Amino acid sequence: MSRARRASTRAPLWLLLPAAVVLGGLFLYPMYQLGLLSVLDFTQAQVSGGQPTRFVGAENYTRLLGDSRFWEVLLSTVLFAAACVLATLAVGAGLAVLLTRVSRIPRLLLSLAAMAAWAVPAVSGSTTWMFLFDTDLGFVNQLLGIEGFNWMYDRYTAFGLVGAVVVWASFPFVMVTLYAGIEAVPKSVLEAAALDGAGAWRSFWQIMVPILRPVLAIVVIQSVIWDFKVFTQIYIMTRGGGLAGQNLTLNVYAYQQAFASSEYGRGAAIGVVMTLILLAVTLVYLRALRRSGEQL
Amino acid sequence: MRLRLAAAAALALTITACAPSTSAPAPGATDGGPRTGALKVWLFDEPNRAPKEAVVKEAVTEFTAAHPDTTVDVQYIAVDTRSERFKGAFNDPASAPDVVEYGNTDLPEYATAGGLADLGAVVGNWPEGADLAADAKASATYRGTLLGVPWYLGVRALYYRTDVLAELGLKPPATLAELTSTARAVRAAKPDMFGVAVGGKYTFGALPFVWANGGDITSIDSAPSRAGLTAYTALIAEDNCPPQNCADLTGGKTVELFASGKAAMGILGNFNRAAVDAGAAKGRYAVVPLPGLTAGSIAPAFAGGNNLGIMKNAQRPALAADFLTLLASRKYQARMYDAMGNLPTLKPASAEVVAKDPFVKPFVDTIGAGTRFVPLDPGWGKIDASAVLPTMIEKVATGKATVDEATTEAAKLIDEALTP
Amino acid sequence: MRLGRRLLDAVAVLVALITVFPIYWMVLAAVKPAGEIQSLHQRPWTAAPSLDAFRRVLAVNDFGRYLLNSLVVALVVVAVSGLIAFLAAVALTRFRFRFRTTLLVTFLIAQMVPIEALTIPLFFLVRDVGTVVPGVGLNTLGSLMLVHTAFTLPFAIWMLRGFVGAIPDELDEAAQLDGAGRFTVLWRVLLPLVAPGLAATSVFSFIHAWNDFLFARTFIISEAGNQTLPMALLVFFKPDENDWGAIMAASTLMTLPVLVFFLIVRRRLVAGLGGAVKD
Repeated sequence: MSRARRASTRAPLWLLLPAAVVLGGLFLYPMYQLGLLSVLDFTQAQVSGGQPTRFVGAENYTRLLGDSRFWEVLLSTVLFAAACVLATLAVGAGLAVLLTRVSRIPRLLLSLAAMAAWAVPAVSGSTTWMFLFDTDLGFVNQLLGIEGFNWMYDRYTAFGLVGAVVVWASFPFVMVTLYAGIEAVPKSVLEAAALDGAGAWRSFWQIMVPILRPVLAIVVIQSVIWDFKVFTQIYIMTRGGGLAGQNLTLNVYAYQQAFASSEYGRGAAIGVVMTLILLAVTLVYLRALRRSGEQL
Repeated sequence: MRLRLAAAAALALTITACAPSTSAPAPGATDGGPRTGALKVWLFDEPNRAPKEAVVKEAVTEFTAAHPDTTVDVQYIAVDTRSERFKGAFNDPASAPDVVEYGNTDLPEYATAGGLADLGAVVGNWPEGADLAADAKASATYRGTLLGVPWYLGVRALYYRTDVLAELGLKPPATLAELTSTARAVRAAKPDMFGVAVGGKYTFGALPFVWANGGDITSIDSAPSRAGLTAYTALIAEDNCPPQNCADLTGGKTVELFASGKAAMGILGNFNRAAVDAGAAKGRYAVVPLPGLTAGSIAPAFAGGNNLGIMKNAQRPALAADFLTLLASRKYQARMYDAMGNLPTLKPASAEVVAKDPFVKPFVDTIGAGTRFVPLDPGWGKIDASAVLPTMIEKVATGKATVDEATTEAAKLIDEALTP
Repeated sequence: MRLGRRLLDAVAVLVALITVFPIYWMVLAAVKPAGEIQSLHQRPWTAAPSLDAFRRVLAVNDFGRYLLNSLVVALVVVAVSGLIAFLAAVALTRFRFRFRTTLLVTFLIAQMVPIEALTIPLFFLVRDVGTVVPGVGLNTLGSLMLVHTAFTLPFAIWMLRGFVGAIPDELDEAAQLDGAGRFTVLWRVLLPLVAPGLAATSVFSFIHAWNDFLFARTFIISEAGNQTLPMALLVFFKPDENDWGAIMAASTLMTLPVLVFFLIVRRRLVAGLGGAVKD
């Protein structure tokens, strides 16, 4: 713990200053304003019409919480995000383990393929998948012989397709990170376990998983954060929320409330609620980690 | 109690004091702004934009020839996201364009937002301004202020394929009920074809059904409105236009369906003529007014149309006025009619068009039978931008809600938006 | 055993093929002649590749300009956010001070804020800043650089922390004993050693700035010359008929720079992710 010796120096301040300025100005201040907007009646008339802003207290929140539409959107957001996280983790982890067991060439191919999928910008990825699954011109429909089938018509096939794109774009991060983590586990530990007569399954759960826990923690947290905030794919593929808004998620909803309906106050309230939910999920997870003895 | 009130008031004060600054509608450049430089113009993107673009290019060439050292930067903005673009421009005076095309339904919202300049003086000084039809002028006036120059009128009527109906021995429908039966007959005989192209997002295709039954937007949950919607949504079904294909269609997509020959009928506007003539349906269609409930009657159409306006925050209002009056002149209104089928708003131009082209007759008849309009209220913009009516239709068309449920929900949202 | 391995190899190759298939399809559709794109019998190859779609994209819509805009924004963001994150990461790993953990958690939380919701206050903020500093107001590329720097920072710090922490303290101590100032240690000793980590981190910043279409759409109101790539791509979605060939060509052009960037830093990224999470 040689680091502790330097506790008294003043250095961190100037090292942290640039970050503090940028984040303070462009993150904390807007967040404060977001909170502020959420308790105001702030619509187009206030922004450019010269009307005074009005403090409305919790009205935006009470109206939001009393709106059945909000609860529907919230529920689908949570379920969609959870499904994406689970699928991403399952695919990513499965392939990471697979990577440790295959020959060099297939391993190289798979990592290159994953890298490529990772590199594709969300906008391009969404448009490409839309074309692949296009009602009439899509290769998939023609392959399956279901020309004329509209994937975006049914709520669940639409969510499923968007989810597939999300998983496709985000499993590489999980795979690469976990693979790097697994490779970092000393071979001797595993060999020792094998000598003790532990089966593959037991050695996985009892040795690999505990060692990998910090890696898993990062991967899980990042996946939750990213998948909960999916915007581009939903916005582009379902054209802003799907048929009768059936594929709306919270942040698309917030964006629409704010910019299409000019209810800036209500849009801000949705944003605050979303942040709180993510915060709660992550804090619960961090706590569980800490209880199991991990350091942040 | 008093203390608490005072505290709340103080809190409110401090909060409003540091809320994002609002920009009071600042008067634009009073001297007319620079006479040189780049003039920013926003026009609507459309299905098959090329003919419109060609006419605009011609006007730009004429304009830049007469105004040295100017360029005109024309952007075609997507209709379905126009609301965000316009609001962005209202919210940031520095980035506002100069001349804009906007739908007449958007007028109250934009007027309330304080985004458009008063064009009273511009039109007063414009020799052709006196030729503007009074009702067209009224559609660009909000609470006594003229905020636009009506550029063209748009009404919708029933396009039908003469060859298809003749082959099946069908006559163009004379009532709305007949429209449905004719559509089904076509689909039954030609399973690859849709009878009449309708869409869940096609509000102005659906509204005539509501109006013909005696309903209206402001009473969307009344029995007559529901009857109209029931008739319209019944068309989004396997026996005419299957929900899988049609539930999320916009008006533009129905144009494409009719133009490409996939639909035997379509409720299209006079301004869609160019798009239809660019497709397979060219030369094989005719137009009649959309019929009402009884034979011989006409379903009230939506009195659509677009205005040209100048942004209050325009950097070059004087140049903008010159360009606007050029684009709105008789010459270019006539050109736009030839290119797109847009009905002119200047009396001499429209008289010329009616005289030379029988195509406009059904549209003029429709206007003559009486048109309707959306609520003249700033809240309409919100109803439109948050897609209240399309959501309602889509819910019914996809079986997620009954007509009663969907209309009750929509009525609540409409009431909310319209109450000041 | 050998059979099992063969089977796993086959599975890996199959997954790899499925994963790249959409990318293959994107490039394929971009070089297919228009007739084949509209076809109801799509074939997974083309006999007559053409660059028409690319020409359409590059000529008609000023795509090159947008590409350059996106590139400039992304590179500036990568450089600035990398530098700031490096300094902060040094502070967080080399020193123990009060609130250190609090700061770390703050950086984590900062990543959770839905950026989409922040567009609302940021819009007004950038507008007001623009009246003072015109270079970063609405309608400018500067505004995009500014917000993306802020948004990429928390994750960059979080990740770089691991790289800096992996460098033994003894190294900078030795340098300091040799009489090197704190500044020299930072630039001459730590920075070169963290370079691979910076490369890995920059991937995320690059992607973030490159992918964004929300801010481009909200901030760049009327200055067509300052539009970025994703917005340009959406131009090809027409109200009547999508020009799939052009959309796919534009998507391909948009993907290429990121792909190149990825392949360059690939090894460092893998090593980096392994290192970053050890800490």
